[in-house]
Amino acid sequence: MNVLFIMKTRGDAGSTHAVANYARVAGRHGHAVAIYGEPIRYVPDLPMSTEIESFDRVVYLFESELYQIKPMHQAVMLARFPRDARLIVDTDGMYRPLIHLDGYDFNHRSEAERAAWVDHVDSLGDHVVHTVLPSARDGRVGALPFFGYDPQSRMPASSAPLKTYDILHLGHNWWRWRQVSSELLPAIGQIRDQVGRIAFVGLWWDRPPTEGPAAGPEEAFQSDPGLMRRLRIEMPQAVMYHDVIKTMSSARINILTQRPLLRHLRHLTLKYFEIFCADTIPLLMLDRDHAEAVYGPAARELVLSGNVAAKLLDALRRPDDYRQVVDDVRRHLVAHHSYDRLVEHLVATFGT
Amino acid sequence: MKILLVTSVHPWSRSVSTIQKWTRAGRALGHDVAVYGDPIPDLPSLPRTTDLDGVDIAVLVLQVAADLPGMPRLARLLDRIPRERRVVADLWGRFNDTVRVEHDFNHLEKLDEHQGWEWVDAMQAFSEIITQPALSPLRPNVRSFLFHGYERGSVARHYEHAGEAAAAWRAAGASEKPYGAMYIGSNWQRWDQVRRFLLDYEPVRARIGRACLMGWHWDSRPEFAVRLGLKGIDTDAALLAELDVQVHQGVRFDEVTRLLGKARFVPVFHRPLFRHLGLVTVRTFETFYADALPVLLLPRDLVAAIYGEAALELVPGDSLAEHLTLAMERPEDHWDAVLKTRRHLARHHSFAQRLCELEALVRGAGRGGMAS
Repeated sequence: MNVLFIMKTRGDAGSTHAVANYARVAGRHGHAVAIYGEPIRYVPDLPMSTEIESFDRVVYLFESELYQIKPMHQAVMLARFPRDARLIVDTDGMYRPLIHLDGYDFNHRSEAERAAWVDHVDSLGDHVVHTVLPSARDGRVGALPFFGYDPQSRMPASSAPLKTYDILHLGHNWWRWRQVSSELLPAIGQIRDQVGRIAFVGLWWDRPPTEGPAAGPEEAFQSDPGLMRRLRIEMPQAVMYHDVIKTMSSARINILTQRPLLRHLRHLTLKYFEIFCADTIPLLMLDRDHAEAVYGPAARELVLSGNVAAKLLDALRRPDDYRQVVDDVRRHLVAHHSYDRLVEHLVATFGT
Repeated sequence: MKILLVTSVHPWSRSVSTIQKWTRAGRALGHDVAVYGDPIPDLPSLPRTTDLDGVDIAVLVLQVAADLPGMPRLARLLDRIPRERRVVADLWGRFNDTVRVEHDFNHLEKLDEHQGWEWVDAMQAFSEIITQPALSPLRPNVRSFLFHGYERGSVARHYEHAGEAAAAWRAAGASEKPYGAMYIGSNWQRWDQVRRFLLDYEPVRARIGRACLMGWHWDSRPEFAVRLGLKGIDTDAALLAELDVQVHQGVRFDEVTRLLGKARFVPVFHRPLFRHLGLVTVRTFETFYADALPVLLLPRDLVAAIYGEAALELVPGDSLAEHLTLAMERPEDHWDAVLKTRRHLARHHSFAQRLCELEALVRGAGRGGMAS
């Protein structure tokens, strides 16, 4: 099966990286995967293609933006791929009922916006999947874990960069401020003098998007760069997807946060798995049961909740113990979340 | 039949007049003809629909990129109407190799962000039945379908015979016909022809009356043309002033016939690309609705083929001034040609005829009659 993805490609976004992984392993299973479009100069290894005739299935992957190709290109796609050859992947919980969480995060501002989104997706196809673990609750919409663990991407300690940072958070400031400011930063404040360098790598921690309102809801980018600086938290630029694991490996601890909506919906993201490829100790700001469901029972030890400050110090002081736990999790990920499994899962989702 | 026209419509531009007549004529003949989309406040009488149930034929009327609907309507259209019931009417010759004629062109990426292959691929995705409003399209797999047509009921004033028409035309005073010549249409790849016409008209201007141009961008070269370095949208305000040409902004499509009637002569130009490809336009037919004498600045073979032999009388020879002078002195001959041409158009280019042609196209394709 040859699968073409139609999606917004960004060199610093998880979905793009995930599809690159699908493309890399697909050949082993007799399949091919590419993203629709011209090669991108700054990510030349991204598998791009405009040879539509070479593909027999198409995946429309939507994040939080209703990404659209030109109507002329869309006409060609629709003519080439009949409805049963189209799959819609919803990574950000947009093809859902209207959800507003605690007056903060939401999937759509209004029912009208939601209806327009659903209308668009429904016009494209009948088969939608959320990027979640399979569950009996999914109803007519399917589940495709979609993001996976790639052992080949694992950064061995021998190749890892020097541990420049004690604590690193790698991810864009997109609906993360409430959790970070209420749980993480106060904890960091308590132990700041006992910890070395700390960095938040990603966009919009130090300033909102330059595009202004066009980039998305203002609340999503809320931040307090002054507070970050007072806590001596560095805010380097975002890194390209192929540098994520290496960058994570430059810290003893990496912290995984997830925007509230996706956490609520239990959507997986690439970061769930990348963080275990890095030579680091991942600490997970996730619900404990969900962490176990994804990572296996060992992951309970890595959940960062309750006394966050104490947990951070504990991980820094007992790294070998934590590394054992991390290795247990990695074994679980290899067994359950490899891209080899995911490619087969994707193909099976289409049916034959 | 239920016929769906898929295109963008705008009361001031492109083929809205033809689209309106398709819906009107179709309904008069018992068909259900509507344009795909929501009602347009500026065009309340234009039937619009998003109901795709039972559509017999969908015609993608393609001129600009915006004529292809966006999502989600594009998907519904393509998924619900079988390919064999879809037709492309490529009105601007996009389904060709890239052609440049003088300053004119059929593809220009810097203008609309689309390269030639994108137009071609999109049309082929829509249908195997690709047509152009030309008698002999360049590509062998493109069918001739003029699309535009002639609606006898739209003629501003009917005459029994040429003498009656000529008498009325001659008797019309300055209040009825304040202009000697008028062209309605935007300044898009027509300046060279219009300039030539105005210069050739100059010797008879004092006798016949001042000229008038109605349309966008005759008064000054538009900013986008300057920015993109587009030729063919030039103008010369000093020359227009020197020739006493009155310039107006664009007009709504439903005002065109009435306004043309305010002039004695109404030239018909086809932009260079259209001349090269033999494409006809709204104005090819619409000009004959006006209570004025058309001046056909078109190739004689095209005139004979579209309008009939009588219309050759309306094609100036080497001297426009002589042609118009003769018409001023013997309008009966010219009006005779106009009335014969109107009859020819009504007989051969009615919208009823177009509907039959459309149905035959689809039936022919269904029988495997398409050229490959």
